[in-house]
Amino acid sequence: MTARKLFNKYNYLILIIPALLLYTLFIAYPFISSLFLSFFKWPGIGPKLFVGLDNYKNVLTGYMSREFFRALGHNFYFLFLNWTLSIVPGIILALSLAAGIRGSDFFKTIFFIPNTLSIVIVGFLWALLLNPQWGMINQVLKAVGLDVLAKAWLGDTKLALPTIIVITGWRGMGFYVLTFLAAVVGIDHSMLEAGRIDGASENQIIFKLVLPQMVPIITTVTILKIIWSFNIFDIVFAMEGTQGGPAGSTDVLGTLFYRIAFGGLGSSQVGMGLGATVVTLIFLIVFPVSVLYIYIIERRELRG
Amino acid sequence: MKKTIIVLLGLLLTAGILFAGGQKDQGKAKAPAAAKSAPAVVKIWGWRTQDADVWKKAQEALQAKGENIVIKYETFVPTEYDSKVLLSLQGGSAADIFYTRRLPGARTQGLIDNGYLVPLNGKVDLKAIPETTLNSIRSKGKVWGVPFANQVVGIFYNKDIFDKYGFSEPDTWAQLVAISKKLKADGITPFMIPGKAGWALAMQHAMVGVSSPGSDWIGKLAKGEAKFTDPEFVNIGKRLNDLKVYYQKDFIANSTDEMSAGFALGQGAMVFYGIWGGTNWKKLNPDFHYGFFPVPVVKKGDKPAVYVYMDGAYGLNPASKSMDAALKVLSYAATPAYGTTFSNVTGEMTAVSGATLPKDKLILQECYKTANEMAAANTYWVGSVFQNGTPNVYSILREKMQSMYLGDITPEQLAQDVQDGLATWYKPLQK
Repeated sequence: MTARKLFNKYNYLILIIPALLLYTLFIAYPFISSLFLSFFKWPGIGPKLFVGLDNYKNVLTGYMSREFFRALGHNFYFLFLNWTLSIVPGIILALSLAAGIRGSDFFKTIFFIPNTLSIVIVGFLWALLLNPQWGMINQVLKAVGLDVLAKAWLGDTKLALPTIIVITGWRGMGFYVLTFLAAVVGIDHSMLEAGRIDGASENQIIFKLVLPQMVPIITTVTILKIIWSFNIFDIVFAMEGTQGGPAGSTDVLGTLFYRIAFGGLGSSQVGMGLGATVVTLIFLIVFPVSVLYIYIIERRELRG
Repeated sequence: MKKTIIVLLGLLLTAGILFAGGQKDQGKAKAPAAAKSAPAVVKIWGWRTQDADVWKKAQEALQAKGENIVIKYETFVPTEYDSKVLLSLQGGSAADIFYTRRLPGARTQGLIDNGYLVPLNGKVDLKAIPETTLNSIRSKGKVWGVPFANQVVGIFYNKDIFDKYGFSEPDTWAQLVAISKKLKADGITPFMIPGKAGWALAMQHAMVGVSSPGSDWIGKLAKGEAKFTDPEFVNIGKRLNDLKVYYQKDFIANSTDEMSAGFALGQGAMVFYGIWGGTNWKKLNPDFHYGFFPVPVVKKGDKPAVYVYMDGAYGLNPASKSMDAALKVLSYAATPAYGTTFSNVTGEMTAVSGATLPKDKLILQECYKTANEMAAANTYWVGSVFQNGTPNVYSILREKMQSMYLGDITPEQLAQDVQDGLATWYKPLQK
C-alpha cells in the first residue's frame, strides 16, 4: 500500500484528534486522576499518602458512612419526588397544550421562562420568597387566613428537602412540557382519527394511543433525571449552603463531597482523597445509567 | 480534493489547540522593554471583601513615601478561598501575598511544611505586633505571616432598646434571661439567631462555654481531665436550649444576612455574634446604636471571658516575582499607621498595637479593652486542638446544634455526640 493510500485510509484519525484532545484533557484526565486520588490521603498540598481502600472503608462503613448513606438516601428521595413532580404534570400540561387550548403559545413561554434563569438565581430568589418572617409566600398565606400553612419552609427538617424539590420541578417544568409536547405533536394523527372513528373515548385515546407512543421519550427523560438527580448540588447549595441544613436534612452527595474535599468556613480539615472517593461512588451509580441511556438512544436511532 | 481540504482543516484545528496561548507569551516577551519605569505590581488574595479600601489606602500611603508600587487586591468566597490558594500555589499562579488562616490548623501548617510560605523573621519588622498575637502564626520558632486582625465574639445589643427599658449590661445568665423575658412580654424579639448558619450556632456554643464553665475547665478538657459528657458541657446546651423561646420565630430558617438585617433594623434586641458584623449593621442602618458585653456567667461573682482570636495573617509566596515590593507592603502592614487605616476602614480590631482606633467607634474601643482584659486562654472552637482531626468539634456542633434546637436531640445527646466524635481520634478523650 502506498503512503498516500495509507494516509487516505487513516486520515479520519486526524479529524478526531481535536475532540479527543479536549475529551482527554477535560473529561478523561480529571476522572482518572480523581479515581487515583481516592486511594490516597491528601489534604490538597504536600505528598500524597497511599491508604489503599481506607477511604472507601471510611465512607461505606466508617465514620463517614452515616453522612454518606443519609445523603445517598436524599438523592434517591430527590429522584422519586422530582420525577413525580416533573413527569406527571409535564405530560398533563403537554396534552393540554396539544389539545389547542386558547393561548397555548403564551403558556408555552410562561412555562419555559423559569428554565432560562440560572439555578443559583432561582435558589436565591426562592430563599427570599420563603423567608419565614417577611417572605412573600408566608405573607400571602397569612393574609388569606391560612396561618397554619405559613411554615419555616427551609428550616424544618421534614419540609426543607421537599420544598427544594418542588422548586427544582417548577424551574424545569418548561423543559418537560416542551419535550413531551414535541412527542405528542409527532404522533401520527391518522391513527388518532382512526381511533375516534372506531368509537374510542378521549380518555381511551390518551391512555391507549397517546401515552404508549410517548413511552420512549418518558424513558429517555427518566434516565436523564436519574443522572441529574445524583449530580444535584447547585440548588441545595444556593438554598441551604454546603452543610445541607437544617441538621443535614437536605444534604446530598454533591454537598457532602464539597464539604469533605474543600472543607469550609472555620474548618481546618480538607480531604481531597476522601472527596474523590465520594465522587467515584457517585460515578459508579451514574455510569451504568448513562450506558443504558446511550444504548436506548442508539437502538432507537438504528430503528429510526 | 475535498478530502485534502478536510484533512488540512483538521490539522489546522489541532495545531490551534496545541499552540493556543502562544501569542500571549509573545506579548509578554515584548513587555519588559516598554515597562522599564512601570510600577511593581503586588497581587494580594484574600477572603475579606471589606479590605478593598484598606489596600487602596495602603497603596496611597506607600506611593506617598515614594514607593512605586501598585497593589491589586482580589477576593474569593471564604468557602472556596483555601482550595483556590492551594491549587494556585502548586500551579505557580498564586498571588504575591495571600491571606492565611491562624495556627494551629492543618491548612496553614500544610503550607509551611511544604515550603509555600516565607518565614518573615529578619525580613519584616514585627515589633509592633504583640507576641501573643504572633503566637497564632508561629511555627517551628518562626513567624509565617503578618497578623491583620483580632476578632472578639460575644453578645451585641441594641442600645436604644436597652436604654428605653433602662436595662444595664447583665452580669449573670439569670439577668440575661430576665431581660429577655421582659422584652418578649412587651412584644420585642429578645434575640435574632441565624439558625440556618450552623457555624454561627457552633460559635454561639463556644462563646457561652468560655464564660461558664470557663477557660480553666476547657483547659482540663484538652488535657483529658474532663469529658464533653460532664455536666459542665451538657449545661451549656441546656442553657441555650432553654433560651430558644426568646429567639425569633422560625429562627432555624434564617441566615446571617437575615439576622443582621433584623438586628440592625430593630426587629431583635440582641445577637450572639462577632465584632466583624458591625460594619454591615451600620451599612444597613447608619443610625443604629449597639453595644457589647461578654456572655454572662452562671454564678454571680465569677469572671466572664470572651473568645478572642487572631483572624488571619498576610503570608508571602516564595515564588513571588515582586518579592522586594511585596516585602515593602508587608512591612507597612506591620506598622501602627496601617493598623489605624485598617480599623478606621473596617471597624475591626487591628492586630497591630499602637494604632489609633477611630474615636467615633466607641464599640471598637470597648471590644479592644474587653479583648485585652477578658480573653479566654482556652476554647474549643476555631484554633483549638479539637479542630485538628476528623470529625472536629466544629463539624459536629454545627449540625448537632440545629438538631438540638429543632428538638430532635437533647443537650445530653449533643454532648455525647461531641464526645464520641472527638474520641475517635483525640487520644486524651479516649481514657
